[in-house]
Amino acid sequence: MTDLTNLLQSVPPAIASAGSLVELEAIEAETIGRGSGIADARRGLGGITDAQERRETGRAINDVAQELTRLIADRRAVLALAEEDERLQTDRADVTLPGRRPPLGSTHVITQTMDEIVDIFVGLGYTVARGPEAETDFYNFTALNFHETHPSRLESDTLYLDYGEQEEEILLRTHTSPMQARYMEQHDPPVFIVVPGKVFRADAVDATHSPVFHQIEGLAVDDSITFADLKGTLAEFTRQFFGKDTEVKFIPHYFPFTEPSAEMHAYTKGRWIELLGCGMVNPAVFEHVGYDPDKVTGFAFGMGAERMAMVRHGITDLRALIDPDQRILEQYR
Amino acid sequence: MKLTRSWLEEFVEIPMDDPEELVEAFESLGHEIEAWSVLEPTFTDVVVGRVLEVAAHPNADKVRLTKVDVGTEVLDIICGAWNFEAGAIVPVAVPGAVLGGDFTITRRDIRGIPSNGMICSETELDLGDEADGIMVLNDDYPKAAQHIGEPFADVVGFPDVLFDVNVTPNRPDCLSVYGLSRDLAALFQVPLRDTNIAVTESGEPSDLSVTIDVPEMCPRFAGREVRGITVRPSPHWLRWRLRQAGVRSISNVVDASNYAMIEFGHPTHAFDVERLGDTIQVRMASEGETIVTLDDQERTLDARDIVVTDGTTPVAIGGVMGGASTEVNETTTAIFIEAAYWSPPNILMTSKRLGLRSEASARFERGADPSFCLLGADRVAQLLEITAGGRPAPMPIDVDPGHIQPWTVVYPLSETSRVLGIALDRDATAGLLERLTFSVEGIDPLTVTVPTRRPDVRKPVDLVEEIARLHGFASIPETVPSGPGGGLPYREQRVRRVRETLVGAGIFESLTFSFIGASDLEMLDPEALEGEDRAIRVVNPLNDTEGVMRTSLVPGLLKGASANLARRLPSASLFEIGKVFLTGSGKLPDQPDRLGFVFAGMLEGSWHTPARRRDIHDGTGLVQLLADALDVPDVTFAPSARTGFHPGRCAAVMIGDANVGTVGEIHPTVADSFGLSGRVVIGELDLEPFLTDRGAWQLVTPSVFPPVVFDMAFAAPPTVSAGSILAAARRGAGELLEHIALFDVFTGESVDEGHVSYAINFRLRAPDRTLTDDEAGLIRRTIAAEVTDATGAVLRGEV
Repeated sequence: MTDLTNLLQSVPPAIASAGSLVELEAIEAETIGRGSGIADARRGLGGITDAQERRETGRAINDVAQELTRLIADRRAVLALAEEDERLQTDRADVTLPGRRPPLGSTHVITQTMDEIVDIFVGLGYTVARGPEAETDFYNFTALNFHETHPSRLESDTLYLDYGEQEEEILLRTHTSPMQARYMEQHDPPVFIVVPGKVFRADAVDATHSPVFHQIEGLAVDDSITFADLKGTLAEFTRQFFGKDTEVKFIPHYFPFTEPSAEMHAYTKGRWIELLGCGMVNPAVFEHVGYDPDKVTGFAFGMGAERMAMVRHGITDLRALIDPDQRILEQYR
Repeated sequence: MKLTRSWLEEFVEIPMDDPEELVEAFESLGHEIEAWSVLEPTFTDVVVGRVLEVAAHPNADKVRLTKVDVGTEVLDIICGAWNFEAGAIVPVAVPGAVLGGDFTITRRDIRGIPSNGMICSETELDLGDEADGIMVLNDDYPKAAQHIGEPFADVVGFPDVLFDVNVTPNRPDCLSVYGLSRDLAALFQVPLRDTNIAVTESGEPSDLSVTIDVPEMCPRFAGREVRGITVRPSPHWLRWRLRQAGVRSISNVVDASNYAMIEFGHPTHAFDVERLGDTIQVRMASEGETIVTLDDQERTLDARDIVVTDGTTPVAIGGVMGGASTEVNETTTAIFIEAAYWSPPNILMTSKRLGLRSEASARFERGADPSFCLLGADRVAQLLEITAGGRPAPMPIDVDPGHIQPWTVVYPLSETSRVLGIALDRDATAGLLERLTFSVEGIDPLTVTVPTRRPDVRKPVDLVEEIARLHGFASIPETVPSGPGGGLPYREQRVRRVRETLVGAGIFESLTFSFIGASDLEMLDPEALEGEDRAIRVVNPLNDTEGVMRTSLVPGLLKGASANLARRLPSASLFEIGKVFLTGSGKLPDQPDRLGFVFAGMLEGSWHTPARRRDIHDGTGLVQLLADALDVPDVTFAPSARTGFHPGRCAAVMIGDANVGTVGEIHPTVADSFGLSGRVVIGELDLEPFLTDRGAWQLVTPSVFPPVVFDMAFAAPPTVSAGSILAAARRGAGELLEHIALFDVFTGESVDEGHVSYAINFRLRAPDRTLTDDEAGLIRRTIAAEVTDATGAVLRGEV
């Protein structure tokens, strides 16, 4: 018994001064492990015949064992924490090493521009239509009120395709406007659509021209669409696309498929820039698609995606937009 | 068209001085100003002088001594020109004058006699091309004599403003100084000044008789004979205006015609009367008839062309170009000035077919004003009185079988609000139209009489345009209607998802041209160029590299990759989504959307990852990624052969049984032809199968029970595909398979000679229970049996 009491005197300071987990484990084995005094004492319990005494002695042993176990556990926690801390201190990373970066490509700025323009109009209640790029003369010209002898039909302006014997010429659409007629033929009013897509002209590549470029066509037809609606819609679009303070002005112009027709100019980056062509749908177009021009009115507009992107991103040479150089494409991220 | 402010001011008072304000005025009318500039003289201190005396130089025989009155003094000037005598009014550069910006005139001695200034020629003053002799102003600028000593720049009309006006095709009436003045007068609400055309008739009426066989093609034919003409250069003021307008001066006769056309818009043509004879007949050409035109080209005509003849032989292609046989030359003394009105579609057709466009045809094809025929001819006659000593014959010719009269348009006032969204009452509407000199009657609807110069105004909407223009686009309010919605269509959303997935995989979108060169297809798709001719050719390509519509995205992508590597970038990763063009059975070519991608070059290494080349497996992996991103099940790859691809490294992409594209490495020879080397990975897929709407996905709740995880390795000859082993393993594992991965493929010592080992990791899990060892064992045996039965691969071991 005296030995046990002595243990409570001598062991705790040893536990407290144990400097490592290994040292602590040695103390533990020595004091409460198999060969320890406590183990001996427990084994000696069997020799105590008096039940009362055996119970009391057993309780006393347990009390001591529990106390030592607690002390050891507490010390172990402290030592473990310290040792982990020490280990982590040496496990250092150079955080300035370039990270393991997943690759990132980009969508083309023309795609981004068209998507954003489309989204603005979707927000105004429009939907999206797309049409063929190889188109008939009828949809590209005739249905849009281009006279049979209109100069746009010349080979100096329009690219034609050799597509066998046909009743009419097959060509590469010169604008996205053919979808006006195609869509109206297939749908009753109200029609609110935007048509993004590739268009083609017989132009050599230079700083402002490319034989392939992109347009976004818009068409709004209902029983009471007015020129005021055209102005308001395009002004709102411009504010959303170029910034809320962007001023616009509308200047009379001429297109065969709209009347009155206008060019919209916007004041951005300190100057007036011609942005797009627009106008009220010419009644002749309604007649071509089977709408009653006395019952519906509408407006249409067409803008060049390249032009919009160039104005917005400070691109002065269109050739940058057709260059597959990844040093350019990286900037589109 | 180009014209000066001073010319406009002959017909309209312009209320603003600032050219920019005038530019805005033009624009508000729909006349875009492409460019404008202030015209200033390139000289200073040049004054009007009068030559008082001319005498020989005692020491030189190529120059003469002159005394010239320059107002404040009389200057002794030595002059080398001989085209003047005493009494000549001349421009004099006084000492201190600067010509051309850097040539200063000083007093100097010429052969011992001082010269105090210089009498100037056109070229010295940048006022023309005439370098022989000095400018003599007496005839060219008669009023100059009243301004001795005053700046010569004022006489010429400096300063002025030059405008280049882009007249839209619907406004032929504005292809003239007078026409634009009319539009400006309507805008400014000031009167349009009179044309002031009057000729002094003399002599006998013309002997010419005119017959028109085809009045529908030539509704009016007018003109005037002018006699006593001396063909010579035009006076400076006239040449100067033509020069500003961008027209070359030829002779007084040709110049008068051009001047009158720019001024009033009506083209005219001058015939030499002596060579024309006394008969004019307007008829359709006969098939194969020929004429030598003014440009000395022989033109072969057909029955759709209209000709002016001398009764038998064509002397002009009506409205397009005159003939050489009656052309005015230096010996001409009498001319007939033709001013006709020709049917626009016919003029366009003829000039297009002959490839012969003239200023005249350009105007007639848009529509000239039939009411201006005689006026146009008389303006030429009037000019020739001044510039050529011409004597107009009395009784002009005017054959008017077409009787084109002004027409009326009925206009309901409600059209204004219906189309423009603004309400204008009867008087406001009529007021605007009357400013354009349209006459208006009635209350509502209005009956509007449209002058013959406005072929573009035929319907109510044409009047809406005029009302909007003059009322001002800026005065129309802005309203924003909302569409019925519909949103971004599902397909559009899916295409965006495709792009985002590829971008996230590190690939750049590239937009290449839709046409390629035939040579691009020779190695990649030679069949497209022959036999059925699947490739569609462009009729009028700009060059050979754009002569064929692309049947594949591959050439464009290879060129894009090559461009990057040529610029010494280590690798290229590009994709494109776009249409290809294939001969189909419909009216239009088939134009399916494709998705293509290319990997070329070396993926750069890093401190953590070695550099590496990509191969076909990068391609198939990307397609797998796309399939996952777009919820396309059942994408598999099958060995395939495609022209231009590596025969052993090319796969057909299958969705179920459908072949939807190719992934593979480009044949080294083809790669080389595009300037590429090493493995070049290409994928080209039909886009549509990746866009299918599969409806909303349904959640599968993951099992909470522990999995059974194990590896199995199979050995098989290389002829057995990994895909078939995996497919068999999948089947064998059955419904409880949660995950399967081929984690090692190897050959070597531990594998039988001629065999490949495939190590596969399996994770199985039941939704409702913990799998027992017995169950797991059974599944392993099933997998082994299935793989061996299906492929012949043998189980090497399992863990």
